[in-house]
Amino acid sequence: MDEEKTDLRMFDIRGQICPSTLLVALREINRHRAALRDGSMALLFITDNRDSTVTIPEAAENMGYRAEVRKVGHHYEVEIGNHP
Amino acid sequence: MRGAETAIAFAQLLIGGGIGFVMHRADFCFAGTFRDLFLLQRRTMIRALLLLVVALTGLQAFGYLLGLFAYPFPLFGPPSLANLLGGIMFGVGMVLAGGCVVGTLYRLGAGSFLAMVTVAGLVGGSLIYAEVDRWWAKAVVALKLDVGAITLAQLLPVAPWVVAGGAILLLAPLLVAWGRNGSMSVAHGPEGYIQPWLAALLLAGLIFLSTLAAGLPPGVTTTYTKMGGYLLQAVSSPHLAAIPFFQREPLNFTHALSGLAIVGGAGPRLDGIALVQFPLMVGIVAGGSVSAWRLGEFRFYLRAPQRQVVSALVGGTVMGFASRIAPGCNIWHIAGGLPILSLQSILFVVGLFSGAWLGTRLLLGLVLRPDRSSQAGKE
Repeated sequence: MDEEKTDLRMFDIRGQICPSTLLVALREINRHRAALRDGSMALLFITDNRDSTVTIPEAAENMGYRAEVRKVGHHYEVEIGNHP
Repeated sequence: MRGAETAIAFAQLLIGGGIGFVMHRADFCFAGTFRDLFLLQRRTMIRALLLLVVALTGLQAFGYLLGLFAYPFPLFGPPSLANLLGGIMFGVGMVLAGGCVVGTLYRLGAGSFLAMVTVAGLVGGSLIYAEVDRWWAKAVVALKLDVGAITLAQLLPVAPWVVAGGAILLLAPLLVAWGRNGSMSVAHGPEGYIQPWLAALLLAGLIFLSTLAAGLPPGVTTTYTKMGGYLLQAVSSPHLAAIPFFQREPLNFTHALSGLAIVGGAGPRLDGIALVQFPLMVGIVAGGSVSAWRLGEFRFYLRAPQRQVVSALVGGTVMGFASRIAPGCNIWHIAGGLPILSLQSILFVVGLFSGAWLGTRLLLGLVLRPDRSSQAGKE
């Protein structure tokens, strides 16, 4: 998929109790599943919760999506999208 | 402070540092372990927790066979339905708070605002218990189970090492299989991450060292009560003096390695409880801080949704109250009592599973409702 045509939606979920970050991620993945599947959208979750960098990619990969974790400054970015 | 006391305090501080560091790196959260089992059917961490318990079963059997500490540990007594009730309440509280009494400490060290709120709740819950203790002390008599034993080994009755050895032989093949097929590891992780299986083994080693140093398993909740006692003393010393709970000293044993008499209770005094618990707590907070600083992840972040702040406060309060009813916390029972198959701890853990399930329902229904949580994410 051409990177320029991919709509990257960002969700800042820093500072929340543990499961909230994952539940927000799961809700958004399900809400945008059609766009994620055809590669027109990717989701970017910004979190300071270390556990989320384990659980969000794990859940997304179980659903068949691609997951990438990057550290940026004090926090992490978890990007969910379709496989290239 | 005498030499033996200094050595115990220093050892607890260092061991606490190690525990806080490992827990932060692995985000080894007891609350999350139980919650995610019900919320996500995620079993990775509960398997790692079982590994921790089995490792400690072996280590503690080694310890009491060599006479390094007493069997059973001080403060463990005959079972009571209060252990079950305390476990249920504790399970609800830790899920609502997003962390148990120790998880809260390493997160506090890493700068978590919600952990600070939970600590306030823990102190408040302990104080509420102190006010109702005189009535609870009467009710608890009716809840006692007259089985004439403290541990499963005493109930059967067989030698403690027989039960410990049997449990290890029964569970070891399962743990080896999970280790081989990667069921106690994860594919993705943050910087400096320690895999769950390794964290479980490291924590088991550190908890054993703490048990050796203090003569009893790690626990921290009475110190939260002591903090409440100091607050109450500052507000009204006569009222504090009128509460029998703050005058009692249930901890009274001889430390096997040093011969030191360790005596203490919940009152605002620098006693045996303060000696073994306070340095451990400071160490766990410091360990979490050091880990977070080294990763560049230490940061106060105050933008938590209001509903989650209330949940952390309520969860902490419920946990603080429950830890006096139980009595003890999840670490005390899971890492201290369960490895010796204390009947109190078995009841507590049964209650903890039930409470974590109930807490997860409450969390989903009241705290993380979709209409509210959507305000938290900024699109």
